[in-house]
Amino acid sequence: MMLRTVSSSPLAPSVKVRLINAGFHTAADLTEVQPLQLCKAAGISPEEADEVLRTLRDDSSPLQQGAAVQSLTALDLLHQEETRGSIVTFCSELDAVLGGGVPVGKTTEICGVPGVGKTQLCVQLAVDVQIPVCFGGLGGEAVFIDTEGGFVVERLVGVAEAAVKHCAALAEDEEQRKALESFSVEKILSGVFLIRCQDHTELLAELHLLHDFLRKRPQVQLVVIDSVAFPFRHELEDLSHRTRILTGFSQQLTHLSAQHGAAVVLTNQMTTKVSSGQSKLVPALGEIWGHAATQRLILHWEGAQRFASLYKSSSHRDATVPYHITAEGFRDASVSASSASSLSPAAGSHSKRPRTEHQHS
Amino acid sequence: MLCQSISPCIDKARVATLQDELLNASTGSDMVLLREGLCPGLSEDLIKALHGGDVRTVEDLVLSDPEHLAQKCSVSYKALVAVRRVLLAQHTAFPVSGADLYDELLSSTSILSTGITSVDNLLDSGLYTGEITELCGGPGTGKTQMCFSVAVNVAHELKQKVMYIDTNGGICANRLLQMLQQKTVNTAEQMNALQRISVLRVFDVFALLSSLQNLRASGLQKGAVGGSVKAVIVDSVSAVLSHMLGGKQNEGMSLMMQVATELKMIAKDFNVAVLVTNHVTRDGNNQLKAGLGQSWSHVPRTRILLQRVEKPGASSSLRTATLLKSSRQPCYMIEEFDLSPQPQGESRTGFAGKRKLDTDS
Repeated sequence: MMLRTVSSSPLAPSVKVRLINAGFHTAADLTEVQPLQLCKAAGISPEEADEVLRTLRDDSSPLQQGAAVQSLTALDLLHQEETRGSIVTFCSELDAVLGGGVPVGKTTEICGVPGVGKTQLCVQLAVDVQIPVCFGGLGGEAVFIDTEGGFVVERLVGVAEAAVKHCAALAEDEEQRKALESFSVEKILSGVFLIRCQDHTELLAELHLLHDFLRKRPQVQLVVIDSVAFPFRHELEDLSHRTRILTGFSQQLTHLSAQHGAAVVLTNQMTTKVSSGQSKLVPALGEIWGHAATQRLILHWEGAQRFASLYKSSSHRDATVPYHITAEGFRDASVSASSASSLSPAAGSHSKRPRTEHQHS
Repeated sequence: MLCQSISPCIDKARVATLQDELLNASTGSDMVLLREGLCPGLSEDLIKALHGGDVRTVEDLVLSDPEHLAQKCSVSYKALVAVRRVLLAQHTAFPVSGADLYDELLSSTSILSTGITSVDNLLDSGLYTGEITELCGGPGTGKTQMCFSVAVNVAHELKQKVMYIDTNGGICANRLLQMLQQKTVNTAEQMNALQRISVLRVFDVFALLSSLQNLRASGLQKGAVGGSVKAVIVDSVSAVLSHMLGGKQNEGMSLMMQVATELKMIAKDFNVAVLVTNHVTRDGNNQLKAGLGQSWSHVPRTRILLQRVEKPGASSSLRTATLLKSSRQPCYMIEEFDLSPQPQGESRTGFAGKRKLDTDS
């Protein structure tokens, strides 16, 4: 019943070659072999023999990360998705498009030209992930990996203050009032872990260490990488090498988000692409990178209005909605800004502020 | 109401190619170590003697000249020839007559509708069991949506099981539920259908190979209740493979071909339809071509390219499907379809394969 083959196992190629030369091709060939016997027969070190037997004999042992794959039914998965929830963006229209916010356990890519608000949205999410559960939030923490040096802590304070105020205005029952006592700006700031990566080597290394970090701090439910484009666009000359690194990188991110149930949010820059004489803006890092994230959100300008377009998603329909960036953070576009004929700007923008998705939860 | 059998319009030539494939599939990885009890007459002494002649596996024995070997290891020529003959018989494939194969084809092959009428047209009624079908396309072109559609259709309409292997985190049970809700309002039926979809989440090629081998070893959970597995979906196969290919790596190609072999064996041995997704790259003339290169292009029997319809005013969920490779329909057929049609058009009763039967006979 053991169909595992030596060549398909995650062993070092040199060890595999030796095993195969010695005639060991499948896990069945190795069932009755002692480690010492294997050393002699295949000419490998005792440590290697040990590893070989461990890898190929107990595929089901939890020691092997990734090898022990349980099959779930789609129904189990549905329950899992329902309990995991998502991180609200504070822009109700965008939340509606995303089905409640940025989904936890998935990867989301945010693309956009400079200044359109990618980092702002990331900061907003890093704050929103910490909204207490009784307010309909996740009560989590965030890891913010900054590669561009664009993270401004004052901005985080500003957005956090606004979020605390917002929740205070909504507090109705005893539980919520109690939760508010601990939901302070200091608490939010200490729940954001900033990691500054200077180049792609540091970024790749950090990703390997992140597994341990997330295991130790299970309350971390958001990992932001702002941006992926910067280190990869400017340091790697060989394009096919870059694509390979990026695809491996994206698989690791997917693994990270699925294993730890965290939302992974990546930002990407835009680049100009010329095709048949016309130029248009497309996300950077090439077409293959487009497969990396489960969801892709493109932020863009149309005149003086900012728009967010859901371009790729396995769960929701493509859509475009306007949004605003205010002193408080990422917000709905006010009625006045989206329609050219402004009627009563002040009243309009204020009446939209109290968000519905907080009230009903 | 189950998967209907194929219409008798298959020509002899196709049967011949099927036979070829069957032969190939059965002579897979038979590199078995010579062991006592493998066949009568293969005693421990004989094995020891053979080791002296550097013959350890069945493969070595088959390749060697018995006369020469008998001399070299000083064993009885007669015994050696007898053992060799038995082993040859054990490890070879049997010839099957075209007529028998055709009968088997008629009784066991089924065509699974994809749930999208125009794509079924391209595929000559749907996905054929025993074959690998590939969907390729850029990011956000609807590959995952098509996979969902197939999964939902097989689980709901045909009441058969589906094995969904997710390698890029794209699976979304909520969307599956949404699709089911468009087919039926009965909640129990929806839940039953979801339970027929098993999901495996693997994020690297070793885990993929190990789960495919486990699937094959367990006979695709044949004994399990609630129908047999009719479709295996791998979304996406390029996500785990593409970064292992190219550059100075020499293992990737071998791993890719192992994935191909496993998928082919699963398709043939268990008579299931295998659906895989692949990314696209561009050739020198900026034309789209499927990813993973030449060697992989021989693996899928049918290949479909999905593209967005970039027309001003067109719905953002409109896609085209182009047939790139097929043994049934003329290549470069193009069909247009909507990924998420508005609910009102959603009153399909029969499925495409059924109609096909009526018109053809």
